Amino acid sequence: MTILPDKDAGDLRAAARREVQRGRDFVDEADPEALVTVTVASVALLAAFVGFLAVSSLTAIPFVVFLIASGYGWFRHQELTARVLTLTTTVSTILILGLILVFIFVEAWPTVEYATVTVFGLPIPGLRLFIDTRWSPVSPPIRYSLVPMIHGTVLVTIIATAVAAPLGVAAALFLSEIAPRAVREVVKPGVEILAGIPSIVYGFIGFTILSPWASDQFSIVGQGTYLFVGVVVGLMALPTVVSVAEDALNSVPESMKSGSLALGTTDWQTMTSITLPAAFSGVSAAVLLGVGRAIGETMAATVMLRGSPGLTKPLYNVFYGNDTLTSLIAANYGDADGLQLSALFVAGVILFITVLFLSIGSQYIEARMRKKLGGAE
Amino acid sequence: MAGAVESELVSEDTSETEAVAAAAVGVAAILFALSLAALFELVTITDTVAGIPMVALLGALLILLGLGVVGFGVGSRLGYVATNPRPSAGLVAAVAFSGIWFVVGGLVASQTLGLGTIGWGGVAFVTGGLAFAVTALPREDIGSTLPAGLLAVFAGAVFVTGLIGPGWVWDLGWEQSASFNAEFTIPVITAFCSLLVSWGAAKSYGGFGARGRHVGAYLLVYLNALSIIAVLFLLVAFTVFKGLPGLFNSISFGLGVGPETTLFGFTFAWPLSWPFVMNGVALLNDVNGVLPAIAGTIWLVIGAVLFAVPLGVGAAVFITEYAEHGRFTQVVEIATNGLWSTPSIVFGLFGLAFLVPRLGNGKSLLAGMLTLGFMLLPLVVITSREAMLAVPDEYRDASAALGVTKWQTIRSIVLPAALPGIVTGIILGVGRIAGETAPILLTMAGSVAPPGSQTVDVIGGFRFISSPPFVENPELLQATSALPYQLYSLITAGVGQSSSIANIEQFRWATALILLVVVLGFYAVGIATRYYFRRKLQHE
Repeated sequence: MTILPDKDAGDLRAAARREVQRGRDFVDEADPEALVTVTVASVALLAAFVGFLAVSSLTAIPFVVFLIASGYGWFRHQELTARVLTLTTTVSTILILGLILVFIFVEAWPTVEYATVTVFGLPIPGLRLFIDTRWSPVSPPIRYSLVPMIHGTVLVTIIATAVAAPLGVAAALFLSEIAPRAVREVVKPGVEILAGIPSIVYGFIGFTILSPWASDQFSIVGQGTYLFVGVVVGLMALPTVVSVAEDALNSVPESMKSGSLALGTTDWQTMTSITLPAAFSGVSAAVLLGVGRAIGETMAATVMLRGSPGLTKPLYNVFYGNDTLTSLIAANYGDADGLQLSALFVAGVILFITVLFLSIGSQYIEARMRKKLGGAE
Repeated sequence: MAGAVESELVSEDTSETEAVAAAAVGVAAILFALSLAALFELVTITDTVAGIPMVALLGALLILLGLGVVGFGVGSRLGYVATNPRPSAGLVAAVAFSGIWFVVGGLVASQTLGLGTIGWGGVAFVTGGLAFAVTALPREDIGSTLPAGLLAVFAGAVFVTGLIGPGWVWDLGWEQSASFNAEFTIPVITAFCSLLVSWGAAKSYGGFGARGRHVGAYLLVYLNALSIIAVLFLLVAFTVFKGLPGLFNSISFGLGVGPETTLFGFTFAWPLSWPFVMNGVALLNDVNGVLPAIAGTIWLVIGAVLFAVPLGVGAAVFITEYAEHGRFTQVVEIATNGLWSTPSIVFGLFGLAFLVPRLGNGKSLLAGMLTLGFMLLPLVVITSREAMLAVPDEYRDASAALGVTKWQTIRSIVLPAALPGIVTGIILGVGRIAGETAPILLTMAGSVAPPGSQTVDVIGGFRFISSPPFVENPELLQATSALPYQLYSLITAGVGQSSSIANIEQFRWATALILLVVVLGFYAVGIATRYYFRRKLQHE
């Protein structure tokens, strides 16, 4: 609390007091029997959750108690039970995100600890994962460097973004501003279906058609290139960019566009000087989300890459493909245990954190844009 | 756009110059198509057309096209063609052209002339700078045609003189070898130049200025939309084409030809025998099939929906109806969006760390169901929330005015009104998770090619036991297969492990096709539902 400015702290305290007061009112008003029922249900559910976490075989008992209590509450005190149950579901949604965070961090810790490097007498856990470049989980010295995979992920993501961002924004512009109604009715479901094709099918086509073709065309030894994985992943990220960017473009108030058109501009002039600048932050949020999709794409990379961790030579050689963070996990989870499995979780943590930040960043940008456009109306 | 109605205030006759510009766009389109055909090896560049080598023909066409566009620009500048250009072609075009010419100059200097880093750098800067000056400084009609046209002429000259001929190879000289050869380079250069020139020609067709830019930009945007649809069509058509033979292998109709099924003590034989869908993989099968994987996918979807839909709809009800808009709803929103964008493989890792040790300590169908349920949850929350927010507040007010409690309002007003949106969201979400491979790879994946006897039978698997948790279902706790996983394992397994499958290539494509049919089926239903309800709403 002390780090907060006084005013904020005061606000928070006041808010907390209000909440407590509201809670007290609520307890006073509610039917005591209903209150007992939902309390029993809540405690039972909590116990079941704890039991599940502790891998107890008795988990089922509190869960059955929860079912009975909430069933009883549903018939006798539906109003309150419904409210408590929906609150429970909401909390569980947040809980799942928290559980993911905790569990993959806990599993990742052994390798992070193993890769501790002492710099000036100060042990920094996990540093060797990023300064070494060797991934050798079997032959000593055993090293789990994630640098090659990060390099692969970065290359694939750059190429995918170069494909998805310009094409996606142009397609969004087409759908929201240019296309006649009949054309839009065809193209929009088409883009959605593109999003629906399973990634393994993309990977399969890439593996059987694109990779051999690329090896042949560019005289590459073996199969698997970051370039074409990037192209395929870009195609997969495209629908995300299109739909989010289209929403952003649609949220530009019609009056702004009409005002510009009334000045005698062409449609294209209105788009470049009014619609796109106004929706710029929303469009960049779309691109960020597309980047997130590209980073997390797994199956196409797993199937199309070579699966032998290492840096390409030279570093910008996109005609060769070793491994990305995602494909490392998917290809190695089977025969990994101990520290190696934990290293895979480190890769998962990096993916999760990066994509979470991208998601939060794009939400922030979108919220700001909505505020700005709302104020401009 | 913007509800504006277009009306021709001034209608001009199509002039000859416009016809020339349109013809240039047409020729560029032909060139573009030709280069794509060459790229996909429908046409080989060593062919001859009417006695002329293909490369020379492409080169000649490029020169012709480039000269045409340059001529148009110069003609407009000298006043022979009536246009209304701006004073400059603009910064965007200038940067783009200088970038292109920078690369061209650098490549020529370093690869053809063999200059060192400083040498090619200098040449590249000179060509790039010149292109920038030529684009930005003169009037728009010169600036947007000359750099594009000259590039086409240059490329055409390189092709015609044979500097880049059918036997041309550029070895990049990297340790992990890679090289550009003529079969790739020539079509790509041709396609790129024809795109550039057609943009210039489209601008000329519009008479430069605002209208010219409009036409030029629309050409590119339409082309982009068209190519996205073309890629989609190609992907689907190709999979269908390759998968059909395997899918309908020895299918037969008629009374009693199919396998026997017992339902409610009544045994009957299906009037249809469809081996690929009704068989597993076994040595003695005439035709192997993917029945266990199909059953696995169906149960996965059912399990995920049973888990995620009550949770997701409940959460959406709470944050839209009960909670006050504030910190808490914001956190929920960020959490659901964060969950939505979490990579699927991370869900897999989470399932591996959290669910697998707690559900029988092995990969299992139940773990797969729950993992996919976690993935489906944010989608259900987001779409349900949107659907509920779209219900007008008047409905709620009217209901509240009748003295009805809040929950009754939700149950009998809000939820029914939002139901179409919720259902659509669920169907689309199910389509997405049905095709996911990465999460189930880590949590439930079983054998590579399961025999028909390993088809999961969840309903028949329940039995009561005397110790807690009193009910068990070994079927749920068994590793099994699903369509996307089956395809993945068929790709990676190689020949040895699945030797009982005779025609592995056909089998793979048929698996891909049936997966595509299942997933796109969900999408088609979802999109159609949305379309139907939207039409219904509009007609009300």
